[in-house]
Amino acid sequence: MSPGMPRREAEGTCPEAVVLMRDPGEEARRFDPVVSMLESVVPRVEIAEPGLVLIPIDGAIRFYGTETAVVDALRGTLAPHRVDARIGVADGPFAAYWAARSAGHSGRMIVDDTTRFLRALDISAIDHEDLVSTFRWLGVTTLGELARLPRDAIASRFGEAGVVAHRLASGQDRPVTPRSISPDLAVESRFEEPLESIDHVAFAARALAARMTAGLREVGIAPHRIEVQVETESGDTRSRVWRSADPFTEDALADRVWWQLRAWIEQGDDRPVSGIVRLRLDPSDLSGEGRQLGFFTNETARVEAERALARAQALVGPDAVVQAGVQGGRLPREQVMWRRWGEEAAMVRDPSAPWPGATPSPAPALVPDDPPRLDVEWDEGMPARIRLGTRWEPVITWAGPWRLSRLWWRGDLPADRYQLVTSAGAFLCLVIDGDCRLEGVYD
Amino acid sequence: MAAVLADRWDLSTRIRESGVSLFEVQPGRPVELTGPVGFGLTRLGYRMLAEPSQGAPVVVLDVRGWASPLAAHEAGVDLDRLVVVRCPDPSLWPRVVASVLEGVKAIYAEVPVGVNDHDLRRLAALARARQARLVLRPVRGMLPAGIGHLRLKAKEIRWEGAVQGHGRLESRRLVLEATGKGAQGITRLIEVEDDGADRVRVVSGLAAGPAGRAVG
Repeated sequence: MSPGMPRREAEGTCPEAVVLMRDPGEEARRFDPVVSMLESVVPRVEIAEPGLVLIPIDGAIRFYGTETAVVDALRGTLAPHRVDARIGVADGPFAAYWAARSAGHSGRMIVDDTTRFLRALDISAIDHEDLVSTFRWLGVTTLGELARLPRDAIASRFGEAGVVAHRLASGQDRPVTPRSISPDLAVESRFEEPLESIDHVAFAARALAARMTAGLREVGIAPHRIEVQVETESGDTRSRVWRSADPFTEDALADRVWWQLRAWIEQGDDRPVSGIVRLRLDPSDLSGEGRQLGFFTNETARVEAERALARAQALVGPDAVVQAGVQGGRLPREQVMWRRWGEEAAMVRDPSAPWPGATPSPAPALVPDDPPRLDVEWDEGMPARIRLGTRWEPVITWAGPWRLSRLWWRGDLPADRYQLVTSAGAFLCLVIDGDCRLEGVYD
Repeated sequence: MAAVLADRWDLSTRIRESGVSLFEVQPGRPVELTGPVGFGLTRLGYRMLAEPSQGAPVVVLDVRGWASPLAAHEAGVDLDRLVVVRCPDPSLWPRVVASVLEGVKAIYAEVPVGVNDHDLRRLAALARARQARLVLRPVRGMLPAGIGHLRLKAKEIRWEGAVQGHGRLESRRLVLEATGKGAQGITRLIEVEDDGADRVRVVSGLAAGPAGRAVG
């Protein structure tokens, strides 16, 4: 198997393969040591996402002498740990990113003429599907051809997204060094009682994120870059810079703090030895986004609800406040993807795929995560009675069985689904090798 | 994807005939759903969240841990705005509901066994003060009098579509007994025919259900 291989092909190549959900927190945790190594060469770095770091190297060039020496130093610090990294050097983050993407076997690419490098890139580099397809339809296939078009025309036809793409194509990227910001936009919380539990810190971070985004919302701006600073009772301080292509929302901010803390706490050697006494969020790279409200969205209600849910979360714990999305599957419990409230939605199985043999709608209104045993009496292969609590209810009628073959190549036994109707309601059950389980109640 | 499911089981119409709005829970006027598990009340509760979920977050307070967002989605709830809060502990439950009521305007809450009457009355008062839509569903028994502005008690459910191994469950007929101020102080029988288009028929003015079939 190889990275980028379609899932179906991977499963065909290796039937024992297990498909796991993407876990950004785990990615951040595993990536954190890499960031620490890079920081030993260049002190301040920006984490665009786990796996991608942007490093301003003007100062480092003055120290090491040349760009090549800086790259050598970066590769040198990663090499002993078998970190397979590609490094690109160019003017601006966009060009540097594509230089890294374009690096060959050497794992490095130093671009001397950024404008020429950008102009040779395919139009898909702007990473905006709709724009790319429109540009292709218009015959614009490279960034160079896009850069040659008048910006006024691009702006009137494609709006802000088009202007951003034109700027990138023209090499007019943002500087890596963040702009200076008004100090009163940063928010900080100090805790007299040090926070010992990561959950407590996460709740505090969510409240702090809410405070900061509320403050920024008042002035109608949103940050693309956030520095999260955490200080322990023993004076140990850890700060990280997080960057996002879209302005940070309250939930996204809370997630970043959570990831950072988890990475710090779960790493072996350098974990904090005392509780957290200070949390600080420092925003920069501010955009005007965040002021415009959705036409059909009640923003005030949303903010109030988020505060209320954060309080409820503090009472019952983060795992007990959840949201769900619909995904593909053949049983009702397989068709729901749960996530903690505030976490990014992830989907494992495409719901728009055909899913032959899926349990027909309506879905049961009550679906246990762990289906309990259901006692069923059978009469010549037909369900006759089921036990509900201490009493036996006659089955008035039923539908099924519908055979479910499941992962037979892995040894899963086939299962039969039945809809059983009694005077006390209707039930969905699954029979596997004579053992009947309650899959749902049509309540 | 979501639209496909909703199209197949679109619960969209409301009671118009009697002026009683079964699916439009009025702000500050709690609704109580009483009846055994399996009588269709959970789906009815989800349906009551459908309209509020179009503009703001809504909450299902899940005591058993069995709430199915898939059914809520079919009932018209926007899953992006649905949050499920799980709280089986009766001692914690009133505080959790109160916290949620502080900011969320529509809640379907299962009530665990062991919550005292005093806490329930305070929560109903809080819902009135906050003008929140609160639907309470005790997992066993009934709530004390005076909590629900409208009290809907499940009397009977019949499923259609499945016949001795053939077909599948397609439609249901649910008979509810409505009492309380929300039913203008008289006992009404409401018959809900839920066949995908969710035709709902109200039989008003009846003080008791129809006579049952005699078995001899």
